Amino acid sequence: MTAILEVERASVQRARRDVVHDVSLSVAAGEVLALLGPNGAGKSTLLEAIGGVIPARGEIRRHGRVATVLQSPGLARRSVVANVDLAQAWWGVPRGERRPRSLAALTELRVDHLSRRYAGALSGGERRRVHLARGLAVRPDLLLLDEPFAGLDAESHAALVEDSTTAFRAASSATVVVVHDRADAWALADRVVVLLDGRIAAQGSPEQLLADPPTAEVARFLGYDGSLRSGNTVTLTRARHVVLDDGGDQEATVLRVVRREDGARVQLGLAAGSVWCEVTRDGVEPVRLAVGDGVRARILGGVTFREDA
Amino acid sequence: MSFLLEGLRQALHLLTHDNPYIWHLVWVTMKVAFVSTVAALVVGLPIGLTLGLGRFRGRGILMVLANAGLGLPPVVVGLMLSVLMFPQAPLGRYHLLFTLHGVYIAQSVLALPVIVALTASAVSDLPPGLLAQARAYGASRLQLAGLALREARIGIMAATIAAIGSALSEVGAVVLVGGNILGVDQTLASAALEAVDGGHFAIGIAIGILLLGLVLIITALLTVLQQLGAARRMGASS
Repeated sequence: MTAILEVERASVQRARRDVVHDVSLSVAAGEVLALLGPNGAGKSTLLEAIGGVIPARGEIRRHGRVATVLQSPGLARRSVVANVDLAQAWWGVPRGERRPRSLAALTELRVDHLSRRYAGALSGGERRRVHLARGLAVRPDLLLLDEPFAGLDAESHAALVEDSTTAFRAASSATVVVVHDRADAWALADRVVVLLDGRIAAQGSPEQLLADPPTAEVARFLGYDGSLRSGNTVTLTRARHVVLDDGGDQEATVLRVVRREDGARVQLGLAAGSVWCEVTRDGVEPVRLAVGDGVRARILGGVTFREDA
Repeated sequence: MSFLLEGLRQALHLLTHDNPYIWHLVWVTMKVAFVSTVAALVVGLPIGLTLGLGRFRGRGILMVLANAGLGLPPVVVGLMLSVLMFPQAPLGRYHLLFTLHGVYIAQSVLALPVIVALTASAVSDLPPGLLAQARAYGASRLQLAGLALREARIGIMAATIAAIGSALSEVGAVVLVGGNILGVDQTLASAALEAVDGGHFAIGIAIGILLLGLVLIITALLTVLQQLGAARRMGASS
């Protein structure tokens, strides 16, 4: 597939300090790439460099026009549809084509019913949707999105991620989206680049990364929160790798119980370390485990690393 | 109190009887206010935009100067300009002293800091990210300026109201630069001053009432325009 973006050994500075180190990646036409990392990992800085907002050492080749949807959804004091039209005017879309494109983008993000409403009267979630609709309406070759779901309540966040997934797939643009929530990356992206301390720590499809994280650091960032030591190796587990089972081969003590909507996350202390598992509520009965209870568990999987690696 | 009543009676008389003197004063006053405000807007809006949106060395000092300009004493401005307009002075060859053009210039100089300071303040208060987003979509400088002006229009309208209000009622610069010449550059405010100076208090009050009415009508019209914009912006949640 044609590469829309090629980044080779790019390093970026902020306040004379290297924030992004020696990053190389490429994005193909139509591909959705997520830049995933904790706060301060350099994701937004890399995105700004890709967008040409800040300079970078190394080489960044963009094959086509790039639109950046900034984190803050700054909307003009006019109607929703006029805001989307306006972005196209800046982009250079001929006047006659703007309105149909605006309405299509608003429909894609399920805010077409708000098209006549003034931007100042929108909720936070609606503002975010209109903000994204502007990015879709200009139809760039490469769309850059900086934390497009930041600052939303859980319900609005989940709904917007679902609708964005469909919208980005429908658009022909290549997309690079910065997220710090793993679930967003899994939902949106064809490929995920994990940035830790300004360097690419891993990249691959969500399935690849989850099944086979290349380092313990990446595994921990991707949600491997259980840790069992044996000699000079450590086995990291996710909750789905651990089940409570009366016939299990591991004796364990309940260390923590964190109640959730449909059950609980339970931390177990084992001889080799501690792991987390999930317990589903039995009908309407609450989870009856308590801290200090003795239980038996079975470890079904995990990834093992040498400690000195 | 009787002065006031007599003033009111004379004001009514002046207005209801076709008085070319009064209508000429009203016409000159409106011309001075309109021309000087438009000139200040033409020069001041780009400066206010640059100060409000720009990030350059010395911007803070320029903002302080613009704000200080809000308190420019009209008499001092009038004096300095009239000195500059003397025949042997730098502006002497343009023969501006004691002319309506000279008054336009003086009033524009007084209105300029009002436009600059209030425009800079209005545009620097725009939602963060809006202009950055416009730049990210490739907006030209002209488009950015248009966006900033439109978004800050309530504040800019306030600046225009302040400038036109001061131009309507200012006296010091008109007298010093224009000479307060009847039929040339005498305005309602300077005519009121002359009437009071001459002991014609009732006429002074009558002109004052006319001036007050003019100020009220013009600023009310501008305020209605401003509030229509604000209501349009705030409303429409349905």
